[in-house]
Amino acid sequence: MHPVIDVHGHWGPWFFAMDIGSADENLRVMDEWGISLQVVSAAEAVVYDAPGGNARLAAVLADRPRLRGYVVANPNDLAATRADLDRYLGTEAFVGVKIHTGYPLREISSPQMRDLFALLDEYAAVVLIHTWGRDVLDLLPLLSANPRVRAIAGHMAATRWDLAAEAASACDRLYLEPSCSITDAGQVAYVAEHAPAGQLLFGTDATLIDPAVSVGLVTDADLTPEIAERLYWRNAVDLFGLTLPADPVLGPRL
Amino acid sequence: MHRHLRLASAALDLAAHPTTIHHDLWGIPLRTKPIGLDCDVLVGTWPPRADLSMTPDAVAARLARSGIAGALVASGRGAWFDDVEGNDETLSVATDPWLPAGTVNLRNALRAESELDRLVAAGVRAVRLFAPTQGADPHFPGYRHVVAQAAARDLTLLVEGDVRHAWLAYAGRGAKVVFLDVHAYHVADFVLAARDEPGFVASTRLLNAPDSIETVVGELGAAHLAFGSRTPLHDTSPSVLRMRRARLSDVDWDAVTGGTLRTLLGVA
Repeated sequence: MHPVIDVHGHWGPWFFAMDIGSADENLRVMDEWGISLQVVSAAEAVVYDAPGGNARLAAVLADRPRLRGYVVANPNDLAATRADLDRYLGTEAFVGVKIHTGYPLREISSPQMRDLFALLDEYAAVVLIHTWGRDVLDLLPLLSANPRVRAIAGHMAATRWDLAAEAASACDRLYLEPSCSITDAGQVAYVAEHAPAGQLLFGTDATLIDPAVSVGLVTDADLTPEIAERLYWRNAVDLFGLTLPADPVLGPRL
Repeated sequence: MHRHLRLASAALDLAAHPTTIHHDLWGIPLRTKPIGLDCDVLVGTWPPRADLSMTPDAVAARLARSGIAGALVASGRGAWFDDVEGNDETLSVATDPWLPAGTVNLRNALRAESELDRLVAAGVRAVRLFAPTQGADPHFPGYRHVVAQAAARDLTLLVEGDVRHAWLAYAGRGAKVVFLDVHAYHVADFVLAARDEPGFVASTRLLNAPDSIETVVGELGAAHLAFGSRTPLHDTSPSVLRMRRARLSDVDWDAVTGGTLRTLLGVA
């Protein structure tokens, strides 16, 4: 038994034929797969209204200590983003910032994302950002220009996990998590071999995707116990500054 | 020696790969019963993943360690290069507990009828169409011709590609089809397409939302769902672990992990 920290979760309904919108469903799948703590963003904030979704997530987090929050930042509205960062990021419930590229239609290489990262540098933010294919490489100049930002490449570039490993090797503030529908054989083993062990994290994309997928990807990687421990929880504790012995959720599981 | 001959002569000793469950997941309870039949397994070579071992022996080992007892197997040669030689490879390796999935080249369907006749004569009951790999859309004349000819021979079709585009080529003809790439995002479209098609079946591989498998069984019944993993191109455990934790009755679980496909293929 060991803690499992899921750094890529969502709360709330999606527009597909799925009944996964309740926070109870987050807790159900967490219990099912032994996940101690999940860091979530509001689906509504990701796909539609960032301030509105962030506010609704804040209410959900208030009485669910096994869930922590990402403040969703829309690169097209930096004023609203700054207001939400000031409102939420210093609280215990919110531990990072989530950025998608597809819904706001802004690439990682876009000027809007450049300006957003400059803003996030002021807050020394931990950022989970959607990466897919070659765009993971575009994180490198953003991180170089913003030395206080630490970024998690969500889906570790999906189809180009090889490039994700290259990028992580080039910057010690770039972390990788494997959640994805694309379950290319050997991807976690490859990344574990080619990227620094201290930059591997566990993510599921739940409740959009069942945690079975990411657990399966890591299982098939046959990681050493030391690397598995780093990936499943220890690196996340360090990245988000979680204090394990005093933590009411994680502590009992140690 | 040609690569396909090496493949055909590779010793496949299934007794060397006893079916066991190889998951040590901090005590999470999992169904331990073997998965009877996997609808989506490949052997041979796959150019974008030439780093992977796809020999029959390596594939058998992967299936066995995940507790998968049998599989519907196709050769990558037929997908990428030569359907006739690929089918020869498939027939040489797909012996009990494997079943052969033949294929037909969608880029040259002029010889589809003769190859389908040869497959039927060899006892093959399923044909896999590698349409995305071969750049063939479901409305292409060659694709439609192959579907018609395969359905006329009562063959079960294993279909790659987006079900929302492919389904129409199979509708209204009583076809037996396993759509291999039905994604959790496309569950609503699959359910609507399958309501009037008793032979429409989805593979579980990409039904990866927390309730996708349960939704398809609830809406359509377990006769519309078959377990698939796409071993060895994809990791096996993601689809296996999801299946082992599926919230289904034992009867439905048995159907999805083998019964549905055996009924479709008409095998015991």
